[in-house]
Amino acid sequence: MAALGARRLLRPGRRWFSETVPAAPSPPAGPLYPPVVASVTAKSKAAKSRRLQRFNQRVHAAATVEEKLRLYGKLQRPKYAVYPQTFALNADRWYRSFTKTVLVPGMPPRAAAAKAPVAAAGTTPEAGGAPEPGAEAPGAAEAPEAAKAPEPAAGAAAYLDMGELRSIVCDALLQESFYQKKKRPFLYRDQDHTPGPFLTQLVSTLAAFLSGRNPLLAASSLDLNPEVNYYWHHGEEVVVHGHRKGRVDPVRFQIDDNPHLQIRVPKQLPEVVPLESDLGDVPVIDHKPSKLPLFKRQYENKVFIGSKVADPCCYGHTQFHLLPDKLKRERFIRERLEDQIEVVYRSNGIASLFAWTAAQAMYQGFWSEADVTRPFVSQAVVTDGKYFAFFCYQLNTLALTAETIKNNPRKNICWGTDSKPLYDVVEDGNVKGFNDEVLLQLVRFLLNRPTEL
Amino acid sequence: LFPGVRQAQWLTKTKLVEGLPPAVQGIMDDPAHGLQELEERAKHAVSHARLWDTAQVAPRREQYCPVLFENLIHICRLMSGKYPSLSKRMLARNCRIAATWERESILLQVRGLSGILMNSMTPIPPVASKEEILATKEHVLETFYPIAPTIDLQEVNVYKELNDTGQCFGDGYPYSHPHTLFFLESANVRTDRFRPEQLRAKMLMFAFGNALAKAKALHGNDPKVLEQPVVVQSIGTDGQLFQFMVFQLNTTDLVSNDGVKNLVWIDSDQNLYEKAQCVPEVRKRVVTKPAGISGFQPDTFKKFLALYLHGTV
Repeated sequence: MAALGARRLLRPGRRWFSETVPAAPSPPAGPLYPPVVASVTAKSKAAKSRRLQRFNQRVHAAATVEEKLRLYGKLQRPKYAVYPQTFALNADRWYRSFTKTVLVPGMPPRAAAAKAPVAAAGTTPEAGGAPEPGAEAPGAAEAPEAAKAPEPAAGAAAYLDMGELRSIVCDALLQESFYQKKKRPFLYRDQDHTPGPFLTQLVSTLAAFLSGRNPLLAASSLDLNPEVNYYWHHGEEVVVHGHRKGRVDPVRFQIDDNPHLQIRVPKQLPEVVPLESDLGDVPVIDHKPSKLPLFKRQYENKVFIGSKVADPCCYGHTQFHLLPDKLKRERFIRERLEDQIEVVYRSNGIASLFAWTAAQAMYQGFWSEADVTRPFVSQAVVTDGKYFAFFCYQLNTLALTAETIKNNPRKNICWGTDSKPLYDVVEDGNVKGFNDEVLLQLVRFLLNRPTEL
Repeated sequence: LFPGVRQAQWLTKTKLVEGLPPAVQGIMDDPAHGLQELEERAKHAVSHARLWDTAQVAPRREQYCPVLFENLIHICRLMSGKYPSLSKRMLARNCRIAATWERESILLQVRGLSGILMNSMTPIPPVASKEEILATKEHVLETFYPIAPTIDLQEVNVYKELNDTGQCFGDGYPYSHPHTLFFLESANVRTDRFRPEQLRAKMLMFAFGNALAKAKALHGNDPKVLEQPVVVQSIGTDGQLFQFMVFQLNTTDLVSNDGVKNLVWIDSDQNLYEKAQCVPEVRKRVVTKPAGISGFQPDTFKKFLALYLHGTV
């Protein structure tokens, strides 16, 4: 009753005790106040993590890959300059720990239509690529070890003429070292005089010769003396001195590499092992990277595979590295560091290939917060003109920063061989002691292609 | 100072024919070689050299000129998947050439770094027929009276009359026939580069020098009319403009002014593309010129490839 009376006293239009359900809730159903988050500018750990999150969101939301790369490398701070070709002792262990790489000695088993096992004589790999019935391949693999390896290989693969390839290689070698009249090599520039041009000739003629067999090579792009750069964070350290003293910073690395030659292709090489495979252990080094010795510098954070993002040939196939005069074998032998000779080849292979594959992955839009969804595979040949070492690298993860590495079981894998000589000596227009295995491995590298081609 | 080609013609006793020889034209027009598909690849090659090759915004001429050349040669070389005899070629960089001859009692010599030389195992067959060669007898070389034809040439005391092509022929060098010479004008500063006319003259002189040295190695030092003319090709570029030349040496008898002359076919000033825009040009918030290569001429690349394939196809 009192309520009724009260209602009549109310102004018309105001339905205070109205029975009807309001049409829409006038305040929004969500929270009444903006979310309570850490500040952006405070000097606190929460603020720092919020700033990092905002940065990550900005990079995630970048429209183009160029924009992403620009934001990724925008902040310049002192970073370790990692040199793939280095004389540092046991550098390959350090590089493996920086890049979370597992080193597997020997070459990866080729798929070979998944039928024939890896043959010691190396006859099978061609069969895997050559379009023959699979029945021939096991036959060739069994036939094997009585292996005058070239002849059965030529028979089984039916196209690969070892004699022809050998003559190409020998011609290139003789042309550079014997036939062409050159002046004497400049001091400490022996590598530019003969092995450099030899490598260029060799690769260009071999690639052209094999392009009929490998359609990927026919669409490839050959770079002479390209530049490959990659910038990444791995681990954490405390800033030692300066106005930022005491803050926890990621350890930054940059690789700036100049391979002698590289072949880039428009399609990716197939993966060698599945993405989540574990083939070994990554060495853990308790020292600071500067103990390697590695030095810090601050300059532009570049990520570059050899050409810009707009290039259709954005995946890598094979790189060829020439070791400089400073790292020649005689020098190591003279200083009684024979075991470091292989370390030089390995560190060059691991560092260069990591930089290349990681840069390729970044060109596709992946980065440490957005890890790769498919493995990136590339190959490299490291040589000093006579000794050749072959490397194959599979990039499984880019997440190497301190936060992302915590729950990341994936590791990058590098297969590598020891260095073997291609020939013994060149005398009087003859190449003595030619090693067919090395040539075969090189040819296998160049013939590598995705399975659908 | 002078239209250099005319002077070079007199010095080498050569008759000029405009355009490329019919043999090369035939290779260009032959559809079996699949030159159409290569257009796309050639365009990529140009874009790579001019736009994508460097981490900076735009590469300089010293960088893009050799890279463009390498890319084009790479495409040409990949044709050896189709024509296996193309692998019988060898590229020699920084080779030095020296050749000597007498011209109306003036001793002339060509020496120097002639750029990049491509040798092959088999010689290029003669491009001009016998009748054309004989017809050159009637052709009169133009003289530049009163200007001496050796103007602008450096006079030196030569102590050794050298004739060699930078490789050791006698030792059974398999790639003994000079096939094509490549000249890259890649200096950044325009004044350091040869202008097209001078570049053509330089190409002619070096092609002649190579052919002469080869002829003397094959047939001896006596001046005579060659039974098998020696053909040497030459391509010169500054990264955008291409000059093509096919030179046929018919005679080594260069002392007199009559008789059979040598022949040269020149196709000059072929643009491979009009403009390479690295950054899009924007006027008043509107993109007027998009980034990329504009005005690509596939014919120039076809000529390049035809000259490359000439002799094996």
